[in-house]
Amino acid sequence: MTIAMPRSNPLSEVLAVAGNEFRQFRRNRTAIIISLVVLPLFFTVALGAGRGGAGTRFSSTSQVPIAFVDDDLSTASGQLWQTLINSGDFHHLVQGYREENAIAALGTGRLYAAIIVPQGFQGKLANNETATVILYVDDGQPRIADEIASTLRKHLRDFNLNPELKSAQRRGIAEIQTIEKGAFFSGFLTGLPIVLGVVQIFAAFYEIAGGMSKEREEGTYARLLLSSIGQGTVMLGKTLYDLILSTVRTLVVLGLAVFAFGARPHTDLGTLLAISLLLALVTAGFGFFVSSLGVGTRAIVIVEFFLVLVLIAFSGFAVDIELMVGASKTLSSLLPWTYGFDALRRTTLLGQPLLSLSDDLLVIAVAVVAFYVAAYFNFGLSRERLLT
Amino acid sequence: MNGFVQDLTAVAFKEVKHLRRDPISLGLTIIFPILLIGLFINVFGALNAPSHNIAVAVADLDGSQASRILIDKLFTSSKIRVTELLQTEEQALELVGSGKVAGVVVIPKGFGEALLTRGQAFVVVQTDNSRSSLAALIKGAVDTAEQELLQSPVVGLGDKTGSVEVVLRPISGRPSTPDSILPGFLGMIALLGAFDDIVNAISRERERGTFPRLLLSPVSIFSVYTGKIFATVLLTVLRTSLMLVILVLTGLAIRGSIVLVYLTTSLIAVFTLSVGLVISSRVRSSSTLTILEIAMTLPLFMLAGTVASPESLASGGRIIARMLPWTYGNEALRRVIYLGLGFNAIAVDLLVLFLSTLVLLPVATMLSKRTM
Repeated sequence: MTIAMPRSNPLSEVLAVAGNEFRQFRRNRTAIIISLVVLPLFFTVALGAGRGGAGTRFSSTSQVPIAFVDDDLSTASGQLWQTLINSGDFHHLVQGYREENAIAALGTGRLYAAIIVPQGFQGKLANNETATVILYVDDGQPRIADEIASTLRKHLRDFNLNPELKSAQRRGIAEIQTIEKGAFFSGFLTGLPIVLGVVQIFAAFYEIAGGMSKEREEGTYARLLLSSIGQGTVMLGKTLYDLILSTVRTLVVLGLAVFAFGARPHTDLGTLLAISLLLALVTAGFGFFVSSLGVGTRAIVIVEFFLVLVLIAFSGFAVDIELMVGASKTLSSLLPWTYGFDALRRTTLLGQPLLSLSDDLLVIAVAVVAFYVAAYFNFGLSRERLLT
Repeated sequence: MNGFVQDLTAVAFKEVKHLRRDPISLGLTIIFPILLIGLFINVFGALNAPSHNIAVAVADLDGSQASRILIDKLFTSSKIRVTELLQTEEQALELVGSGKVAGVVVIPKGFGEALLTRGQAFVVVQTDNSRSSLAALIKGAVDTAEQELLQSPVVGLGDKTGSVEVVLRPISGRPSTPDSILPGFLGMIALLGAFDDIVNAISRERERGTFPRLLLSPVSIFSVYTGKIFATVLLTVLRTSLMLVILVLTGLAIRGSIVLVYLTTSLIAVFTLSVGLVISSRVRSSSTLTILEIAMTLPLFMLAGTVASPESLASGGRIIARMLPWTYGNEALRRVIYLGLGFNAIAVDLLVLFLSTLVLLPVATMLSKRTM
């Protein structure tokens, strides 16, 4: 005689699995703090600290101590000093150094560059010749040399000599002015889509893949398989749990960004939330897929680290995809997260509506289905092995 | 004293043996540096490539000889690829908005005439500024094309302007490359390695239940912790050696004293170990501890001066960077490896690392001991 177990409806089973996840989560204070506080806080504050608030103009060279050595002592060199000081990019120009002392101070941390205006600077400009400014830089500091040089070149390109000199200089000379158009975005706002995405990916992968592997190691997964709840229901329940946590994380990041750093995303909360959750969903699918391969918790942590590093390099947030070539470009176009970051960027910065991003959304949706289906079949195989 | 040294050595070798038996940790020790350098080459190789293929559209509203020459110059640019020639500004702006091109160049009506009669003209460059590196590259390509047009004998505008040239002189005398980031990566490898060591030495030992057995052996608790620190120093020396080989293979000449490099990475590792001990006293699970440490490490790439100088951060970031002892470690590594400076130049950096460890390590050990 067989006794048929009464089956509850699938929705209540999904809710039961999600409820069980939340009960476990509530008992683990460390997990709550890491998932909902530490991760959003670390990344958002690091962005704000590095790039300044959204309302402020961020210049990577503005606070760098730079010596200005004027060996010409002319009207033109004085005007150059004024141009640089007024530019907003060189607030920390220091006068009074002799050339040799300034060079000696480089590499010590007191000065990071020295701008030398040599004798004859004004004379050359007045004669329509190319005048030279020498820039000594402490190139032991990453990227600072290039940033100071390119900012200095930008201001010198637009350097306007005083009217008397200018009239002499301009005789018979043609010039083309470039008018730059396009929205201006603060460094913080440019980084916000990255932070939103990374926080979701980082947390969602560990919550799903780590959670499944932990259950397998503790033996509770085998017990779950022996219950009347199906594999699909388990996956949906865990997904629901993770999406709720992801919603809270998105709100924490956006709350910090808006209220602490003054960010004003060019889209509505619903759109940002939808894309963040799609990123969390595709990561959860990948998490299910990795854990369906039967790997342990330690391996999950390692995969997570590699995933984040690969995304940093190839998903378009450290370097624009258009600049990649060969295998890097191919890999980048195969990663569904690339499209998620693109969608976040287009909505947060450019204010494009969600439905105009159909290509990005389609790729993410296909990836979600592919990961979930692959994980479902893999789990099915391991279930058969477990039960036979 | 002899007994203490023997105990310490025994504990240290036990830790190293553990690593030898753990192929994952051993593999990571080798793979992490290679992976990091590989990513560095990918990212900075793409940014500093001699040519790019950035899609740009051009709207020529003028149709003059000058505008055609300018378009020719844009077509031959190594940085951009003109994908479409358009008739109206609206069409061009629509293309940027849709993301099909990263920027558009609009040559307004009357461009050629203004250039020939008044000697002054303008073009409009509209870029998708959400992709900042692309916008800068497009602007640079347009500037170059404009200069080439002005010097073009066909149009006859070729007088040389009285411009200002910047001559760049790096104090290291090295060519301008992004290699100055590499010493910071060595610092991060020391940091990541030490975090992994703390997971192996404390959290996993706690999970396996082997730590109480260690305490029941005739080895003092002081020897146990000193042995674990010693093991981390040994492993850091190994990781540093591997990383130095990789750096040399990537073409970076190491100018300063190798001993100072080992000393700095060891100090970074011991300080990191102290931080790890404090965290592990609150976070018991080894996998959670690893996740937390990775989450901490990623912002440190920016805040501890690894990929960008602390001086180039916003004011809040500079304050945080100066409070992090890892920043001083990275600076010391750069001064020694990249600039070839000696002990005097990094004495303050090493002192900060040493004092931070001296303050934190006893507290960390006490906290950790309590949880065992």
